[in-house]
Amino acid sequence: MTINAHPELPEFDYIRPATLEEASRFLSDHAGEARPLLGGTDIFVRMRDGFWHDKYLVDVKNLDGTDNLHFHPTAGLTIGAGVNMNRVMTMLEVQQYYPVLAEACRSVASYQLRTRATIVGNLCNASPAGDTIGACMLYDGVLKVHGVDGYRDEPLKTFFLGPGKTVLKPGDIATAIQLPRPPAGSTGTYIKLGRNTWSDLSIVGVTALGSREPASASGYSFHVALASVAPVPLEVPAVHSYLSENNITPEAFIEAARLAQQACNPIDDVRGSARYRKAMVKKLTEKALLITLDRLEGRE
Amino acid sequence: MTIETDISHKIPHPIGDNVPRVDAREKVIGSALFADDLQFGPGLLYARIKRSTLPHAYIKRIDTSRARQLPGVKAVVTGEDYPGLIGLYLQDRYIFCRERVRYVGDPVAGVAAISEEIAEKALDLIEVEYEPLPGVFDPEFGASPEAPVLHPDLGQYEVANFIFPEPGSNISNHFRVRKGDVEAAWVQCDAIVEHKYRSISQSDVQVIAPYVGGGFGCKAGVSMEALAVAIAWKLRGRPVKLRLTREEEFYASFVRQGVVAHFKMGCDKDGRLLAMENKFFWDGGAYTEYGVNITRAAGYSSSGPYDVPNMKTDSYCVYTNHPVGGPMRGFGMPEMHAGLEQCIDELAYAIHMDPVQFRKINCIKTGSTLITGMTMHPTGLTECLVKAAEAIGWGRKDPPSAPNKRRGKGIALMWKAPAMPPNAGSSAKVALNEDGTVTVSVGGQEIGQGSFTIAAQIAAAALGVPVETVRVASPLDTNYSPYEWQTVASRLTWSMGNAVSAAARDARQQILEMVAKAWNEKPEDLDIIDGKVISYRSEESIPLKNIVIYGISLPNNEGWVGGPVLGRGTFMPTYVTGLDAETGQGPRAVVHYTVGAQAVEVEVDTDTGKVEVIRGVAAFDVGKAINPDMVKAQMEGGFVQGLSTALFESLQLKEGILQNPSFVDYRIATSADVPHNIQAIIVETPQDDGPWGARGIGEHAMVPTIPAIANAIYDAIGIRVGAPPYTSEKVYLAMLDAGLIEE
Amino acid sequence: MAQHAITLTINGEWEQVVVPSQMTLLQMLREKLARTGTKNGCMAGECGACTVLLNGEPVNSCMVLAVECDGMHIVTVEGLMQDGVLDPVQHTIIEHGGVQCGFCTPGILISARALIDRNPDPSEDEIREALVGNLCRCTGYLRIVDAVKDAAALSRQAATL
Repeated sequence: MTINAHPELPEFDYIRPATLEEASRFLSDHAGEARPLLGGTDIFVRMRDGFWHDKYLVDVKNLDGTDNLHFHPTAGLTIGAGVNMNRVMTMLEVQQYYPVLAEACRSVASYQLRTRATIVGNLCNASPAGDTIGACMLYDGVLKVHGVDGYRDEPLKTFFLGPGKTVLKPGDIATAIQLPRPPAGSTGTYIKLGRNTWSDLSIVGVTALGSREPASASGYSFHVALASVAPVPLEVPAVHSYLSENNITPEAFIEAARLAQQACNPIDDVRGSARYRKAMVKKLTEKALLITLDRLEGRE
Repeated sequence: MTIETDISHKIPHPIGDNVPRVDAREKVIGSALFADDLQFGPGLLYARIKRSTLPHAYIKRIDTSRARQLPGVKAVVTGEDYPGLIGLYLQDRYIFCRERVRYVGDPVAGVAAISEEIAEKALDLIEVEYEPLPGVFDPEFGASPEAPVLHPDLGQYEVANFIFPEPGSNISNHFRVRKGDVEAAWVQCDAIVEHKYRSISQSDVQVIAPYVGGGFGCKAGVSMEALAVAIAWKLRGRPVKLRLTREEEFYASFVRQGVVAHFKMGCDKDGRLLAMENKFFWDGGAYTEYGVNITRAAGYSSSGPYDVPNMKTDSYCVYTNHPVGGPMRGFGMPEMHAGLEQCIDELAYAIHMDPVQFRKINCIKTGSTLITGMTMHPTGLTECLVKAAEAIGWGRKDPPSAPNKRRGKGIALMWKAPAMPPNAGSSAKVALNEDGTVTVSVGGQEIGQGSFTIAAQIAAAALGVPVETVRVASPLDTNYSPYEWQTVASRLTWSMGNAVSAAARDARQQILEMVAKAWNEKPEDLDIIDGKVISYRSEESIPLKNIVIYGISLPNNEGWVGGPVLGRGTFMPTYVTGLDAETGQGPRAVVHYTVGAQAVEVEVDTDTGKVEVIRGVAAFDVGKAINPDMVKAQMEGGFVQGLSTALFESLQLKEGILQNPSFVDYRIATSADVPHNIQAIIVETPQDDGPWGARGIGEHAMVPTIPAIANAIYDAIGIRVGAPPYTSEKVYLAMLDAGLIEE
Repeated sequence: MAQHAITLTINGEWEQVVVPSQMTLLQMLREKLARTGTKNGCMAGECGACTVLLNGEPVNSCMVLAVECDGMHIVTVEGLMQDGVLDPVQHTIIEHGGVQCGFCTPGILISARALIDRNPDPSEDEIREALVGNLCRCTGYLRIVDAVKDAAALSRQAATL
């Protein structure tokens, strides 16, 4: 936010194309001055604050299946770009097979904001603080992208380049996020430390996902992703390897948490200092792993 | 004569009743109008303000020519157009800056145009050239001789006779108290504690609409109104609307002053307070026209609600290059009590005495001689303290809810007087209508505190009519509404209430005299009950609606008596005296003090530092609760605002630039951050000159919350965290640095 | 500046409006149609004073473009009262003293109505969570939470009648 935010949105043209092809073409023809519009909850704030000055907003919410939310027993979950977070988190299959995603959605802002906010928008906005990004990464999410040359897939692991920066090019429209079906019994948690109990942006966010994994030495597979502590949403592979190779004990979780702490690289900002953030990564990673284990063992 | 008792059973006396708010229905159906809701038609113009981008600088040049040429722009004004100084207690600001700017946000120029968008574009076309000057960002430094002087003309400014600026410095008011002999008293003390608190960072309020929404003080006085008037002046006959963005609101309207406070206090081994020496440096911001009086109020109340025989206080209002400090719920009291009430705890601990016991010994009682020399009126502070302690279960330590949590309890007292000129007055009119209903006209605004409902109750009780038949005329309009000093200082129930009561009694007297004449009885034998005049002598009765407009016809066509009934009433305190400039001594410093206590129970999460307030108790002596439910609502709402300030709120200023001008990063308490239970306890020690004994309770409700929470945190973890807000981060790092926890 | 002609219902009445692209639903309601019950508190989706129902779901109307609402159904605070009878949330918030300055009240009422519509018997914690997007400075929230609980009970009673 800036100190001289405008009283209203600046002038722009609202474009509603009839097809994705048309939308991609328009966005590509107006590179640098057009932007795809989903829920708008970030775009409007940034435009009013004067950070973004696009001449065109291209509404892609109701095009060619972007409004679909669908679970397939083998293929997994497809969340269209226009599907809002409340719809995702209340879907039974999401609660059953992707509980961490539902938990992450619930932590975002307020109910009325989530009526507009979308998961795909959260991903494309590429904020290091994005609450649902960690879950989408750990569930091996792949974005379906429509560009001037048609469809392609973009795995999330290689999607983020920096704060607000992704591999998307002019003309690209992320139309859906696809999450393969996770291993049976997998579960986890999203711990968000904000200034308020609910509704805040994260000072630190920790996503943990675990499952039984007979092939690993420990018999388990754990994955951790961190929010708000690096220029990009951060998955920590070291945690996964350590907890695959070592016996699952409280001490092992402490060591894994230390590895997560090592991997992060936070900054000082109005929401928190780097020192506090680093300390919280350790505390909350340990806690997230403990909760995940409890849930795996059916203790919760 | 049984009629009186019969009716008094049937008709509830509206004083002390939980009468529903008179403004509630229109507020829930969406028809209540706030300033921005008013419709002005197609002629409306929109104003926007060009603001300084530097905290302190000379204005070398302003070029408005390009802005004036923009189609749709109707007027551009700058400081050149308005050379006069304005201000409430100290005239130290221009409407638009002249020669220099003193904070980021200082108005430099104003534009009116046919749309907000065009006005905004015109702002970009105004060129301003600055020459930067060194700034002052700390009040203690600002008070020192090394600091650059921000107002070189301070000596020429007009000033109220109870404000004492020190020209040539940044001190715009220096208030002193000298009582007894502090130096001699230190020698007799068995324990002395000394602390410096940055009691509060400058914090703002959620202010919503410029009419009656979310006031809490920072809409008092004249701030953005002057800008709109100055622009409209150039456009005679056309309405101009100026609305601040939420972001502007955070730095361009009054903010709570920051303070650096030094406390030194000592007691003997029996726990009797012997001396106190306080020094406050208030961060007044760029202009202190209103803020100087906060410094004064904090000065004459600087002992807190304690009986202190030897007192020395220096309270300085200091200019800085920060947003303009001004009134905000509590008017200096939350800031001052934040440090003082923690020191009181420390002193009690120093002599191994329970903090509640220590407060019982030392708190102000009826007849105490206050530090200004004033004698304390009847007060129920001890009762508030005892009841709050009892309700929180003081002395009982409950186990925390989880192994990583620590639990603690804290208590704090408060006092506050209405801080206003000695002769702040009120007036009211009570008119009776054809249908026997009553219209009360007042000049005090309904800002959510319930003043209209209180006015209706008081008028109904004083006149003798059902409260449902009383309407309060709104919106207020200076063309028609009677005079009121200001809707501030938690003074309306008391001061405006007195005026309403007087007006209703005046109307009542007119009615009784009219009827007495017509019935050939004495007014003393008549009464008005439930909207009817009755005679105790003849047992006759007549409804008001038959007589209050057309009078009463005399028998045998002999003519008429009476006519339209219109009562008028005023109130002004006449007994407040001046205070000596050197010693702060005078027979009566203030009209009265509202006192109270709060107690809280908190849990601190040692993993994250998060503080959760799990229970709260508030006990205040309101003299008489005219509407007990609304009094309790003030106590609860005030408690949560105090909690919000204690845990979340801070304007983060870096070299005068606000880092968090929005609700994204200026966090306030939400529905999920408040305790499930806040117990509100009403204590009633009547005020001799209050309506039915009532005193104010509005601001007071948040005054002791910060120290109560700070004391509870100390009880939980044994650490004084420092300046609020007590964020998770601050508490966590304090625990880490103290070695209480390991990373 | 592109203008769009849109058709939508507001509190059950069809409206045709011409709006520029950048006009928000909130601006359209307040500035174009003079429906001022919905309040402008922050223009950033943070305070909730502008909350309205859009096709039955609560949204911050400052975060929705008017043009996006073509063909949709809007309910504002002015539409809660039916045939002169207050909605249970309006009734109980008065009863519990959950109104002070009243600026946040329209948004709170809409959020509360939406909560009860999707969850007829919300727990206290569910009510608190549903209201975190509606900031209130005056009341301290407790009376509002109690009012919503009672309103849910009243609404359930009305549904079984």
